[in-house]
Amino acid sequence: MEILTLWLWPLLALILLPGLLVYFGLHVVERGIIFVDLALAQIAALGVCVAVALGAHPGHDALPWVLSLVFTLLGAGLFAWTRFRHPRVPQESIIGVIYVVSAAAATLVLSHTAEGDEALKNLLVGNVLLVTKGEVLRTFGLFVGIAAVHLLLRRRFLMLSFDEEAARRQGISIRTWDFLFYATFGLTVTSFVQITGVYLVFSYLIVPAVCGALLSPRIRTRLAIGWVVALVAGISGLALSVKLESADLPTGPTIVCCFGAALIVCGILMRLRKGSGTVSAGNGA
Amino acid sequence: MTSLLLALKVVATTPEYGAIATAIGGDQVKVTTLAKPTEDPHFVDAKPSHIVALSKADVLIEGGADLEAGWLPPLLEGARNAKINAGGPGRVRASEGIQLLDVPQVLDRSLGDLHAAGNPHFMMDPGNAKIVADHVCDVFCKLDAGSCSAYEKNRDAFNATLAAKMGEWSKALAPFQGKPVVTYHPTWRYFAARFGLVSDVYLEPKPGIPPSPPHLAEVMQKMTEQKIGVVLVEPFQSRKTAEAVAQRTGATVVDVCQFPGGLPGTGDYLALLDADVKAIASALGK
Repeated sequence: MEILTLWLWPLLALILLPGLLVYFGLHVVERGIIFVDLALAQIAALGVCVAVALGAHPGHDALPWVLSLVFTLLGAGLFAWTRFRHPRVPQESIIGVIYVVSAAAATLVLSHTAEGDEALKNLLVGNVLLVTKGEVLRTFGLFVGIAAVHLLLRRRFLMLSFDEEAARRQGISIRTWDFLFYATFGLTVTSFVQITGVYLVFSYLIVPAVCGALLSPRIRTRLAIGWVVALVAGISGLALSVKLESADLPTGPTIVCCFGAALIVCGILMRLRKGSGTVSAGNGA
Repeated sequence: MTSLLLALKVVATTPEYGAIATAIGGDQVKVTTLAKPTEDPHFVDAKPSHIVALSKADVLIEGGADLEAGWLPPLLEGARNAKINAGGPGRVRASEGIQLLDVPQVLDRSLGDLHAAGNPHFMMDPGNAKIVADHVCDVFCKLDAGSCSAYEKNRDAFNATLAAKMGEWSKALAPFQGKPVVTYHPTWRYFAARFGLVSDVYLEPKPGIPPSPPHLAEVMQKMTEQKIGVVLVEPFQSRKTAEAVAQRTGATVVDVCQFPGGLPGTGDYLALLDADVKAIASALGK
């Protein structure tokens, strides 16, 4: 019964929220922009830092929330704008630069406020154990909204990530759609990061998508595999950290290690299937 | 001796309160401490065991001066234990009845409101340890009247040893009246006030802000001007910064700690103060 009283909201957070992350993970892995989530989270954090430097107080005033939103959208614009057609410079390098510069800028902005460190830490180092009912419900509501947008416009979004050439041939405005993609993705990442922290966001985005890609060429199957991996790794990580009382493991890192184990299992499964010759090489789109 | 099942379950946020609870409660209480002695008490990472301990606790001892403001409230929200919620019978705010130093004159948010209540490191003055011991004993007695005489006996023994030790510590530091020391964070203000040292130069420009080059230059200039030869550093603070500053000014870096268990052989509060006083006196004597 302990699981239902003490751990109900962390458990629900790990069941309800990762679905959207796994979906975005498929895009992110396909586009090869693995670290974009960290960069967007850091840009949003910079927004909060600017608000704090202006005298606002996270949790009480609206300004930090507003500025984190504004900065996320600016970041989305930046990423949409830096998608080169024939990149001599990989986009990942731009993402890296944006990440370190916004992290460093946050430190500069906060160097004259006393509570800076705390504000930054709270933003980037969420802990799923401490999630509240309000946070879970609010974030779930937001995620349902974003999921609805992506469900309605799924053809466009998928074409953009998985078949850029076709999108260009059809004369779709890549910049505009990319901006919409990064804006919704940024909102998702910045709200999830406050609940679970950066390591978990990264794990939820990348591992299920990679597991899916290892085991299936079809997008729908990849998504289904990703969801299963995310649920199993998240819940077993929470259960291990709660139940292994003698070890007393912190929850977030335990979940991340479960994701590592899940990836190994999927790798072995892929080998086995390859050995029996059931997987054919193919490009899913 | 009471069985462990009947014992009061006590949770302390930081190790010095855990040590006091053990000194007063003896075998009658089971003490769990949330923060490790080598961990920065401003930031403690939540673990499932913390929430479990809080959900079962009869008593929670916290500083009460915002030191744990960043991490205790969400843990309590997760634990849902009315006994130790604010105003509950088992909630002990250690700072009650203690005169806090460095209370901000103006509450200006640009200065941050991390510690609006004042400097929370008051346990570094052993005089305040007595106030906390009395307070803890009162709460134990209220919740477990059957063992009250045992608690009072332990409290009297603790206070007696503390008083005797206070004499020793004052004597050890008496030759260094008015001597300044550099610390990383304003942790040693109460200690300095008690024993006649001066602590107003910090490696941090502001609490919680990492040192910048101009600030460190200013610190080193002050150290040369005021002939400060001692830099105190705790396990979770940047020893590298302390060493760099000490090397350039010919000062000594001294390892100290505000928490029992943070230095070797400092299992309880009195042993910790013993070790701190000894380390600081020997460095000042050089």
